[in-house]
Amino acid sequence: MSERIEYDVSLIGASPSNLALAHRLVELASRPVRIAIFEKAKQIGGHLLSGAVSNPRVIKKLFPDWDKGGFPLQGICSDSYLSMVGIRRWENIPRLLTPSYFKKEGYAILCISDMASYMAEELQKRAAEKNGVIVDMFPGFAAQSIVFEGDRVIGVKVDNSDNGVRDICHAKVTVFGDKGFISRDLVSKYNLRKNPQVYSVGVKEVWSTEKSFEGKVWHILGYPLAPGHLGGGFIYGCKNNQLVIGMVMACDSANPNMRPPQVLQDLKKHPYVQEMIRGGKLLKYGASILPEGGYYSLPDKFAVDGAMLVGDALGTLDVKRFSGVDKAMESGYVAASSVWEAIEKDDFTQGTLNSFQPRLMCGWVGEELRDARYFKRVFDDYPEILGKMIPDMVKSIDSGKGPVWAGAQFGLSDPLGSLRLLGARKMVESPSDKGPAIYRPDRTHINPNYSETSAMPEGFDQSVIYSTADVVFYAHTHYEEDNNHIEEFDANVCVDCIEKFDAAGKDTPCVGDCTAEVHQTLEIDGKRRHAMALENCVQCTTCEIVCPFENLRVKAALHGYGPDFSGM
Amino acid sequence: MSDGLKIVVLIKQVPDTSSAAGVNPDGTVDRVRARKMMNPFDQFALQKAIETRNAHGGEIIVVSMGPPPALAILHEACEYGADKGYLLSDRRLAASDTLATAFALFKTIEFIGNVDIVFTGLQTTDGDTAQVGPQIAERLDFPQVTYCEKMSIEGRTIRASRIIDGGIQRLEVDIPALITIANSASRLEHKRFYNVYRTRELLRDKQTLAKTVMTITLDNIGADPARVGLMGSPTVVGKTWKLGEKGGSCKMFQGDSAKHGVETLIESLSEDERGIEEYVL
Repeated sequence: MSERIEYDVSLIGASPSNLALAHRLVELASRPVRIAIFEKAKQIGGHLLSGAVSNPRVIKKLFPDWDKGGFPLQGICSDSYLSMVGIRRWENIPRLLTPSYFKKEGYAILCISDMASYMAEELQKRAAEKNGVIVDMFPGFAAQSIVFEGDRVIGVKVDNSDNGVRDICHAKVTVFGDKGFISRDLVSKYNLRKNPQVYSVGVKEVWSTEKSFEGKVWHILGYPLAPGHLGGGFIYGCKNNQLVIGMVMACDSANPNMRPPQVLQDLKKHPYVQEMIRGGKLLKYGASILPEGGYYSLPDKFAVDGAMLVGDALGTLDVKRFSGVDKAMESGYVAASSVWEAIEKDDFTQGTLNSFQPRLMCGWVGEELRDARYFKRVFDDYPEILGKMIPDMVKSIDSGKGPVWAGAQFGLSDPLGSLRLLGARKMVESPSDKGPAIYRPDRTHINPNYSETSAMPEGFDQSVIYSTADVVFYAHTHYEEDNNHIEEFDANVCVDCIEKFDAAGKDTPCVGDCTAEVHQTLEIDGKRRHAMALENCVQCTTCEIVCPFENLRVKAALHGYGPDFSGM
Repeated sequence: MSDGLKIVVLIKQVPDTSSAAGVNPDGTVDRVRARKMMNPFDQFALQKAIETRNAHGGEIIVVSMGPPPALAILHEACEYGADKGYLLSDRRLAASDTLATAFALFKTIEFIGNVDIVFTGLQTTDGDTAQVGPQIAERLDFPQVTYCEKMSIEGRTIRASRIIDGGIQRLEVDIPALITIANSASRLEHKRFYNVYRTRELLRDKQTLAKTVMTITLDNIGADPARVGLMGSPTVVGKTWKLGEKGGSCKMFQGDSAKHGVETLIESLSEDERGIEEYVL
């Protein structure tokens, strides 16, 4: 018997994108097809984390009864607010003045970890109803490397036994829906991305609260982010008296020490949030990155011979609309048509597979990504939005002004500048062509001498505030002694980096931006050196993104090691 | 021995030690609600079986006794590399104590026939008696090595070291033998992709599956129903009660170095009203 293991379709990552792809493919399959799904977490969904308030447009297609029980909803948004927040006060912007893309009423509040595990179960049931359609899931098996034959992808290596052929899953087409752990190898081999991907890091806590906030959604501008830092907070009210509190902050910050988990603690120090979580209990903590380059960070091609990119591997997140989950799922849904076409034609070359690209870009995903293409660039072209406008308005709000008055006051204080900002508004709302947005990698924005500080609220309840070491406990990470998933290429590079940031009185970015207190500097043999407490790692990959010397690489951990984000 | 060894591993499905299983009003574990897992002690036995088969050839037959859902751990054992499985499942087995269980499993091993080595875990996490393995050995009239940590085989002789109070006891037994593996032996290795894949294929191939993982009853093994279940169990459980809630608290000491962390710890203990001497050995 041949030991070669072969499937028609191999999906890397049980992500919303790949699970949507599998669902659609099972639906389309009018003859036998074999699908394998690899997931680095111990359980499907175990490493998935998102906000998430999502337009249910793809969920509706896959699960028409999505709001009638069964499908794991945390709630449906009934009231959404865009809030301007200072250190003392909290003002919701009047609905009339709230941009439409901040209005989330009717959207699904999701825990994508639970959603993925539900989608996986349903997938098995639906596949079982179709003759010859096989879906095999392999949680705990991460794709470790891509296997090429010439320029064609023929599979992935998923194990390290002493029998090489047994370690490879061959497939006619391998679809990457991961957060870059492995798809970056494909992108770099074929040089698919001319403009780099840029990221935000998101941190999130789930609380059990005394009061229910089910259906309420807040998106937060201002406090606790320092002036100039793109990002914001979010609070989502879920069923069963659960409350999601999170912060998203762009990695292209000059600040080498963003301390994401502590910024989240700062949000919780605000009197408004304090009131919400009084008497509550922290249930879960987690962190993840968001690929935010959008339209201009999309690869030149979405497929190569034998492989495709979907979801976060492709970069379909739309930061203007906070629309990640639905676009990722749609990318998988649309990709399924091209995969099925390839199966029918028995042709898995780029020519056939890449019909996916025009299919996706001519639909609403492409349309909305194009519409949002300058959202990130606006903040580069108009640094005064984050540097002055929002900080000034927040100050007015703290001094007791309403949001409308705060805006008017800003307008009056600098009429010319405000006029100029109308251009920014146009760039966001209905952009005319200004040529591509060119990004620099996030790490190049870091400035060791960054000195911005922000004021803090006073008199908060310390018992709901956690140190980073303590909060990581709630990510429920599990690793064993053979784990070694973050590679440090050259220890001396780290020594030099530490010296450089020490001189400026800062931690290195890997230490200062870590979401789980993994990175540390320790004095060993008379030198300050980089060390890692890998057992804490929630696998967000921020350290790799911000390492000024590209000296770190976060690989997919083996054997299902990592956090447990179920219920996140 | 051209065909290698016929190895039996006894495994049991128990409530997942990490799940909040809950306790019934009568003090027994609520087995219906609890998530299930392969008894952690049995995993050491399965690992020793895999090592033994890989070194000497042969086949691993996993055997379990329990309700039909316990098939899941036989499939799981296949994912770890076991070759065959038997689930002894019969309503008449309900409420069996160790005497009855050992009798039923003894009959199962007899039914399988020509077994060279029986591996078992030290004990289960739900019963905690460590009695079943030794009782089976007595019934089979096999020599037994309990608390075995290391072993090697030469010809038909097993050289084993077992853990005893204050040290290690080395002994030799002849095959066939029953060995209970200590939980200080090597841990069960992670599943191999190939074995998981092979098991997925097996579960689809109903014909092969029927010859590979089988469910059997008391009638198949010819066991007298009067000697199993409640009838065959002389053990009387007087009363069970809950010992109390889990408690305690934990304080983390942070510092930029281990040295600083330890200093903070010492400082904190010194401030404790009992005085630091209380904590020094």
